[in-house]
Amino acid sequence: MSHARPVLDAMKPSRPAPTRMAPPRKPDGFPNAGRYRAYLAFGFGGFFLLTMSLLVLRAVWALGNGEAAWRRVATSFQNPLYVIYHALAFLWLSWFILRLFRLFPATQPRRLGPIRRPPDALLVAGLSGAFVVVTFVVAAMLWGAS
Amino acid sequence: MAETRTKTIVVTRFDPDRDEAPRLQRYEIPVQDDWKVLDALNYIKDEVDGTLSHRWSCRMAVCGSCGMNVNGSPKLTCKDPLSDYGDTVEVTPLPNFPVIRDLVVEIEGFMERLQKVKPWIVRAKELAVEAGPTRQSPAELDDFRQFSMCINCMLCYAACPVIANEPDFLGPAAIALGHRYNLDTRDQGQKERNRVFREDGGIFSCSYANECSEVCPKHVDPSGAIQQAKLANVIDWVKGLVLERGGAR
Repeated sequence: MSHARPVLDAMKPSRPAPTRMAPPRKPDGFPNAGRYRAYLAFGFGGFFLLTMSLLVLRAVWALGNGEAAWRRVATSFQNPLYVIYHALAFLWLSWFILRLFRLFPATQPRRLGPIRRPPDALLVAGLSGAFVVVTFVVAAMLWGAS
Repeated sequence: MAETRTKTIVVTRFDPDRDEAPRLQRYEIPVQDDWKVLDALNYIKDEVDGTLSHRWSCRMAVCGSCGMNVNGSPKLTCKDPLSDYGDTVEVTPLPNFPVIRDLVVEIEGFMERLQKVKPWIVRAKELAVEAGPTRQSPAELDDFRQFSMCINCMLCYAACPVIANEPDFLGPAAIALGHRYNLDTRDQGQKERNRVFREDGGIFSCSYANECSEVCPKHVDPSGAIQQAKLANVIDWVKGLVLERGGAR
């Protein structure tokens, strides 16, 4: 541990303390330690959400400008850079969804009215299975449309 | 008789009257295999250096006083076996908290957050003693039992990356305890707590890093409680749009 690590302004009381205090330090290894990867990856996902939203807007805008404009946009999405971008976005989305599914049971109340929460393994398996099926169905539909 | 060997314990020292900033001090001490980290600190305090300051009380993982950072991870030192570590063990104050002295952190900021969520049973009108006990079924108790195990050790605050970046975040333990009382069938304070939950720095600041639940020594799962509180608040908000009186008690 190094006491030269960045200090922060966390957890300080609203009233001044009677004695001088050393400022709080960030957690050890923050943000590079492995245990913070999920937090960073979650934050980084904002990049995909923002850019994907802009792309959707662009596609919708083109759709309103006639078939030729739509085809131009659809063709531009075949650019290798777009393909790589979409592959990365899909990887991030898969990680996010599967992590959410793993953590999902704990986020649910133990009872929904008179019904008890199903076993955790059943919930995770059900959600993961549904995600895989929906992904394949959407992929098949898009494949057929192209 | 447990076997005795030597370990180096590296401890943060900070005297606000003399030190500009915290520093590290090494102690080489004889330790026994069955010791916890707290036993080593108590040995230093009793036998080597009486000026060392650290908090502890019950020694049985109930009071939540002895939370410290051990080799970079927040731990309850009375529960953390010394044998889990190598020849050198580094003990520092909990991160994300101001340091008063040596290993003692300022907990007033935590207490203020805790009070905000009213972690007690709120009643619109107290029941008369003659009315008898308020009954609660085992199933109703089971809804919040896990969250009531919190001992306020603050390890979750030390591990939380959101606290490190958003100092106003209400934090895991306070939200878990607030949610625990929201789930209690005897309580009528949901509305007040949900108002605090929905403020800036409330439940929606949590990005579900799950670190709080990883370090919790009582398996309270504060991150699960926060997500449940999010869901309950969204449902309550929607009910508020539809129903005149809203959903919360």
